[in-house]
Amino acid sequence: MRILRMASQALQAMNDNKVRSFLMMLGVIIGVATLTIISSSVMGARSQVMSRVERFGLDQFMVMAGAGRKPGVPQPTPTTLKVEDTNAILSEVSNVKDVTPQINRRDIPVKYQNKNSYAVMVATNPNWSEIWNTQAENGRFFNDTEVSRLSRVAVIGQTLVNDLFEGEDPVGKQISVANNPFEILGVLEKKGASPTGLDLDSRIIIPLTTGMKRVFNQDYITNIKIVVNDTSRMNDTVNDVKMLLRERHNLAPGVEDDFTIVTPTLVMALASKVSSTFNIFLILISLVSLVVGAVVIANIMFISVNERRAEIGIRRAVGATKKDILSQFLIESVTVSALGGITGGILGLVALKLLSTFTKMQSGAILIPIILAVICAVIVGLLAGIQPARKAANLDPIEALK
Amino acid sequence: MINVQNLSKVFNKDGAEVRVLNDISVIIEEGEFVSIMAPSGMGKSTFLNILGCLDKPSDGIYMLDDVPVQGMDDDELSQIRNRKIGYVFQSFHLLPRMTAWENVILPLIYSDDDSDMKEKAIKALESVGLGDRINHLPRELSGGQQQRVAIARALINNPRIIFADEPTGNLDSNSSAEVMNIFRNLHAQGRTLVVVTHDPDVGALADRIIEMKDGHISSDRPTNIGPKESVQ
Repeated sequence: MRILRMASQALQAMNDNKVRSFLMMLGVIIGVATLTIISSSVMGARSQVMSRVERFGLDQFMVMAGAGRKPGVPQPTPTTLKVEDTNAILSEVSNVKDVTPQINRRDIPVKYQNKNSYAVMVATNPNWSEIWNTQAENGRFFNDTEVSRLSRVAVIGQTLVNDLFEGEDPVGKQISVANNPFEILGVLEKKGASPTGLDLDSRIIIPLTTGMKRVFNQDYITNIKIVVNDTSRMNDTVNDVKMLLRERHNLAPGVEDDFTIVTPTLVMALASKVSSTFNIFLILISLVSLVVGAVVIANIMFISVNERRAEIGIRRAVGATKKDILSQFLIESVTVSALGGITGGILGLVALKLLSTFTKMQSGAILIPIILAVICAVIVGLLAGIQPARKAANLDPIEALK
Repeated sequence: MINVQNLSKVFNKDGAEVRVLNDISVIIEEGEFVSIMAPSGMGKSTFLNILGCLDKPSDGIYMLDDVPVQGMDDDELSQIRNRKIGYVFQSFHLLPRMTAWENVILPLIYSDDDSDMKEKAIKALESVGLGDRINHLPRELSGGQQQRVAIARALINNPRIIFADEPTGNLDSNSSAEVMNIFRNLHAQGRTLVVVTHDPDVGALADRIIEMKDGHISSDRPTNIGPKESVQ
């Protein structure tokens, strides 16, 4: 194949002048490295957002007690959201399919024999398991009977199992939770860390009634998760819930809500707040360095064409067409640029790997950024190479041989 | 084989027209060994470049193998240079970073036949007595050896015509004799040779001497050494 033979000639020319080839690559390497970092982290962030939203549930929203945090304002525990609100939402708002209230408390000491740990305690109803998509994989979840009896039963997460039991089967054992004896009914499936960094496997789930009357001695709850029937009417339902709660809490018009509603859209918005200024900055850097890379390649190619006039003349004399010369120089610039792109892509991924070990930044797929990088580099090489290559092709062979 | 009628070449130099070739007509038959002799600057290189399809005439007709050359596009001219013509230059024009055999295969890169490129190059180098220099770079070779590499390159596609522009101009007398000896052998194989020179000793080796002066042919005669009669 003629094109392959010419490609090997172009590669040989690059190999003959390694320093020049490396200098030509430099701009592209930097540009593509930053581009790889951006695209991979943006993709990583996007998939993280999507998985977070999916985990939250697209047919669900949540009412949290309190008006939401304000910086600098000390916040007393909100006490206005009640279990009765939960029942009112379920019975009075249309399109509501299911609700589950819960009380959350962190740093609850748990003890088994001589071993200690700290748990996040969740007091809730049996439908919590289904609504939060968290099953008991060993043993079972508590049921309505145990809720109505205020039973001291619990389902615990894997971290607690590891901390307290060391290989022993925890089901049926008695542990002490905030100085109350509890019987373990089951172990929750592993969930890992929450987006806010909470270890979801350090949770202990107990019946809501038990939590309210026996452990915390309180009548208010932390949040209510609501499942709707028809997702397309989500906004109306959210509004209805809001109106209902304002009415029940006797909030006069103009007074701020004493609760906060979190919808999937809001979760998406919060999660995608990956510092976009930083990304714009990186995109600018990579664009600038790709442009600089293209200019550098074009200039060095022009110099190279001038230096190699005799070579071009010889090749023309032995039968190279203008197109052959054009292809040879284009192959050179594209190959240099593509090699720079691959190098830059690998450097970018190495940098990403380092970044993601030091920070919480998520990196996405590897293949797509690399392909993207090489495509960018090839385009840069083509654009940068076309003018020098045309100059080379249009050299008068006789002039070139003088 | 080569039929030139009323050929002229005009250059534009600083706005003034310079007529380098003026109304040249000549026929060179297949198998002839012709030397074109003239003092420097008398247009003989330009003439050779036109014959070698590297340059185009301003006026006149050039028929190569009964095909007019002037209407051809770049691809066709390149193909003729590649298949029909071997070119030998005064300053060798080898690529300095390539070894002897890599230089020799250059015309094969641009031809359709790329089977056993290295093998062919070795054969071509052996035919000019450089079978033991195939992996040498040009700078590791003497002038005479470099010119023989260039001849091997000109021969690799087995062209029927060899054009040589002052092939011995940069060589000492021994190397010149070697090169001219190769040319005589090529002639004996039936190839057509056109050699431009200003050295009367080199010119005398041909069958026919065309002398040029002021852009036109001043004399065209057979030499007495040549074994064949030339035709005009």
